[in-house]
Order: sequence, then C-alpha cells, then structure tokens
Amino acid sequence: MSAASDGLDSAGGSAKTGPEAWFFCLRIMGGRYAFEAPLVVEVVRLGPLTRLPAAPAFLPGVFTHRGEVLPVLDIGQLVGQGAVPIRSSTRAAVVRCGPWKVAVVSDGVEGLVSIPRRALEAPPAESIGMAEFLSAVGRDRGGAIAILDLPRLVEAARARAVPAGSGPA
Amino acid sequence: MTQPLAELLVFQVGARVFAAAVQDVVRIGSVRDVPPEELVEGTSLGSTLGRERGIVVSDHQLGTEATLVVDQVLGVRSVPEGEVHPLPAFAAAVLRTAAVAGFVMLDEAPTLLVDLLTLIRERRAAAAA
Repeated sequence: MSAASDGLDSAGGSAKTGPEAWFFCLRIMGGRYAFEAPLVVEVVRLGPLTRLPAAPAFLPGVFTHRGEVLPVLDIGQLVGQGAVPIRSSTRAAVVRCGPWKVAVVSDGVEGLVSIPRRALEAPPAESIGMAEFLSAVGRDRGGAIAILDLPRLVEAARARAVPAGSGPA
Repeated sequence: MTQPLAELLVFQVGARVFAAAVQDVVRIGSVRDVPPEELVEGTSLGSTLGRERGIVVSDHQLGTEATLVVDQVLGVRSVPEGEVHPLPAFAAAVLRTAAVAGFVMLDEAPTLLVDLLTLIRERRAAAAA
C-alpha cells in the first residue's frame, strides 16, 4: 500500500500552513504516536527479517521490499520500553529522515490524522523514554496523541550506537 | 547483455549462512592442523557449533594468514552483481562491526555478505584490547 494513495501528498502540502496539522499515527507500546506526515514514504507489511550481527537492540533486522533492503527501527527498544512484537501481520511505516530511510515498526497503523494547530500543546518537560523525543501533544477523536520529533529520534539512534571499530566485535 | 557475475563463497557459522567474495579466500581446509594462534573464532558472526572447516584469508598488510573457523563451507555460487546490495545506510551507521558489507540474494533470501579481512582484523583487535 502506498502512503501517497492515502493522501499524503496533499497533506504534506498543507502541513506547514493550514489551520490543521497533518500527522501519521502509529500505535506503539500501547500508545498513539505520530510524526510529520510528509516523512512517510509508504506503509508496508514486514517480510521475513534478516538479523544483523553486532546490531543494537533497536535494529531488529532488515527486510527486502520491492528489491530494496530496508532497516527496521524499533522505537520501543530505543527508548528502553521493550520490543515491539514482530509477527507476520506486523506493519511498519517506511520513513525518510534526511539521509536515513528506515521502517518504523508498530503494533498498528492508524494512518493520517489531522489536529487543529491551536490544539497542539508543548510536551511534558521530561527527558526520559519516549518523552525525550516528543515535540508536542495533541488530541483527536481517538484520544491523546504524542507527536514525535522523528528526525531527532532517528539521529539519536545513530548517535547512541557504538560506531564500528570502537566497540566490542 | 549479461550482467557481470560475483563469485561468492557460501559458508555457515552456527545456524546462519553467510557469503564472502571468493577472491578474499586463499584456501579452505581443516582446522585441526592449524596453530591455535592462527585460528579466528568468536567473531561478530556468532559462535561455531562444530568447528569443522577453516577459511584461510591472507592479510597482505601484515604478511600473515589467518584461518576463520566456520561450521561448514557450502560451496561457491556465481550470482549476477545486480543481486548484491550494499548495507542500508542507517544499518551501516549503527552496526558495531564494519565486516558486514551488504547482502546478496541467494535463492530469494537475503544473505549477509561478509568482508572476511575486516572481520578477522576486528576480532584480533578485540582480543588484543
């Protein structure tokens, strides 16, 4: 399924300017988390994972999709809240954050959500777990949504990993 | 037009199958007669089960040979170079080893392509540390 067919292109065009802010919402570790909709390339069902040697826990493996090898990012593991269970039905949002293209694994995909900009609030002033990467919190008809600063989260994942050659082999 | 072929040695460590460029391999043999200091095991590829075979790799910089201990050598495969994929950039940036060079599609399954010399150098550096 292509996310573009879900209306992401039009959402991206108005995301910065309209009265509504558009986000892409996933269910992760029992919570509703969303990030800027234009970051999402598509939503895929995970194929069989190939695990990588010497990989951090937040990188459970890679899989092939249309001939491309994509790394899987487990945000739950990154923030120390446990692994998102990976099953044959598991879906992931393929996102592009700067130079990185990763598949963010989830418990479920809600898709596009719009929240009035005036309804977005500052995140709680905590710096642990998922709260460290929140840029805002909002609410729609489905309830509360935590807005993730996904580029910052992905960059933090890269920075936290021990580079090759400086850690145990 | 036919694609150029990559010649790959396919081998097994534990339950997992890996591939490496044939040109990096000097020879394959038993590990029984190899001096212990030339054996390399416990690499980031995982632990061996049977220690059946050794893949001999030459380190031209040091002028030495090392024998990577594996469980089985499964053979040599020729695959179109188009079937060889680099490691995704994000994965390459976060792995704690530089020895995983990429993937090759073998029987429609992504198989890790290993840089044998880097693998051996990393293991020796870790052992020396």
